[in-house]
Amino acid sequence: MAHKGSLFSRLMWRMALLLGLGAAALITAAWFYARTAADEAYDRLLLGAAFQMSENLTVQDGVIKFDLPASAFELLGLADSDRIFYRVVTPDGKTLTGYNDLDTGVDLTAHQSQPVIGNSTYRGVDLRHVTVSRVLTQKSGVVWAHVIVAQTLESRRALAAELTTRATILVAIMCLLALAGSAIAVRYSLHPVDRLGRVLARREPQDLTPLDLDVPRELTPFVDSINRFITRLSERMTLMQRYIADSAHQIRTPLTALNAQVSLIDDEKLAPADRRHMERVRRRASELSRFTNQLLNHAMVIHRFDSVQLAPVKLNDVARKAFRAAVPMTVDPDLVVSFEASPEELMVTGDELSLREAIVNIIDNALRHGAKGRLDVKVGRDGDNGFVEVSDDGPGIPPEEWGNVVKRFYSSRSEDQVSGLGFAIAAEVALALNGRIGFREKTEERPFAIHIALPLIEGGQA
Amino acid sequence: MRIFLVEDTHDVGEAICRRFQQAGHTVDWETDGQAASDILSFTEYDLVVLDVMLPGRDGFSILKKMRQSGSGVPVLILTARSEIDDRVGALDLGADDYLVKPFDFRELEARARVLLRRRAGGEATNLITCGDVVLDLSNRSVTVGRREVQLKRREMALLEILASRPGKVFSKEELLDRLFGFDEEVGENAVELYVGRLRKKLEGATARIVTQRGIGYQLVADGA
Repeated sequence: MAHKGSLFSRLMWRMALLLGLGAAALITAAWFYARTAADEAYDRLLLGAAFQMSENLTVQDGVIKFDLPASAFELLGLADSDRIFYRVVTPDGKTLTGYNDLDTGVDLTAHQSQPVIGNSTYRGVDLRHVTVSRVLTQKSGVVWAHVIVAQTLESRRALAAELTTRATILVAIMCLLALAGSAIAVRYSLHPVDRLGRVLARREPQDLTPLDLDVPRELTPFVDSINRFITRLSERMTLMQRYIADSAHQIRTPLTALNAQVSLIDDEKLAPADRRHMERVRRRASELSRFTNQLLNHAMVIHRFDSVQLAPVKLNDVARKAFRAAVPMTVDPDLVVSFEASPEELMVTGDELSLREAIVNIIDNALRHGAKGRLDVKVGRDGDNGFVEVSDDGPGIPPEEWGNVVKRFYSSRSEDQVSGLGFAIAAEVALALNGRIGFREKTEERPFAIHIALPLIEGGQA
Repeated sequence: MRIFLVEDTHDVGEAICRRFQQAGHTVDWETDGQAASDILSFTEYDLVVLDVMLPGRDGFSILKKMRQSGSGVPVLILTARSEIDDRVGALDLGADDYLVKPFDFRELEARARVLLRRRAGGEATNLITCGDVVLDLSNRSVTVGRREVQLKRREMALLEILASRPGKVFSKEELLDRLFGFDEEVGENAVELYVGRLRKKLEGATARIVTQRGIGYQLVADGA
């Protein structure tokens, strides 16, 4: 299944993106504002200086005179990192004093009722300049002189930068607070999703009761469809079990009748050839019986794990019951059959019936294909595992066949001795119970053995 | 012995009847569950062989009613249902044994024999010990050390005789009489056969069957 990240991270990423965009807009605005504010502040100084200078323009004896006022420079000196340029222009357009090439692009022939403020470049340096007009009275009448004062931009830039930085810090703090707050809120809002996930994860696979859980409206469709699915599965499984039970009955009854009728035939009265055929019918009928049992038990065992709750099981008891069920009373009297329980009580998690069926099948197989004179069943402990071991004095199964015999319907022998489902049942039960089925090779000292090992319940003892 | 068979499948019922009759038992056969339950309420049998799926009344319900009314007659259940829960259920309800269909008819006879014998012999509750061989007469089981060894009826009987007085030498004739009775025709070497099998099954025990040549057999515990 492809993961598209968590809901939490999806929400948080979007939140962060939104906050980031907002912060960028705010910081841009702050920068504009800071620049305007810095300009306004320094423009006032510039204007003040220009007015002071224009105040000092006088007409004496028809000649325009200019005294450079120290106070004007003190005022401009407040912006200590900036250089200052000025130019005083007489009504006839001549430069009285200052830099005569300082040009602001203002028409100096006309009267400017308002001071003109603007930006320009002078000698490769960016400047802010102001042009102030001063009315002078001469013999010839009223004339206008102009004072131009310009200043470099360092101080106002520094001020704008400082203001912007402060605003940025505030915005950043605000963003982080908002993000943290959102994280808490999102976590809280997603809590029901987490809870639903936990409830689902905690559920036993066999539990087919509907979910009973209060969830927010948005999650209701999910819970509803999960419940619908569970109900359908449960119905389907009941149906399946019913079907297995019914077909078991349907198959077993005529098969029993067949065996019954065959058992009534008196071999003595048959011709030798018929007797041989009869023997084959008998053998096939018993094979069919055995195989039917395996098939139905296999279906039953597989379905049990879908519906049955696992519980602690006493390994000794299960193994003993399996031993009694698997060894028929009519077993060959020359066969030595024994059962050895473990001296300590071993508890495993399992389903008693399935586990018994698994052990029965291993013993049954040993009786049919292995044991010549001896069959021993032993329950024991190996570290954290409890095991049931079935050993016999037969030829055993060669190691290269071990992986195959646990497959369904596998047989390496002739068609007469299909091992069928016996080991498959045992292996599947072992797997379903977190255990395994294992083989031990026949040696001079030790007979061939098959065991089913299951993890012991913590502590190992009842 | 009187056996009551409740089985609705004609082919099966017929065969079981014939088999038990051949073994010398009297068999009453009923196919309807309700009728069977009524008969059981006033007739005493030595063994009841009961099918589960029956018309009228099912086998479990018949068994339950029998046990509720205090009947201790041994009951052997025949089931064709797939759930092995049925088997456990049957034992919980008081059945003495069960067989899942299809079954081997010799196995049915063998199990019926055990139940009938238990009925006839009553329940003893004593243990006989010799060396590490323990013979539990109540559930007819034998343990050698920690190993439970499965013995056949005659082997069990032989061990019971020998272990009843460890060290005593039993003659072949005596054993022959006690094992088979006077009416059974068995060969001289039948005792040797059973002694041989029993010896094999007691292998590894701290008690042995010793042959006293020309006299008989005795069970001796090591170190005794």
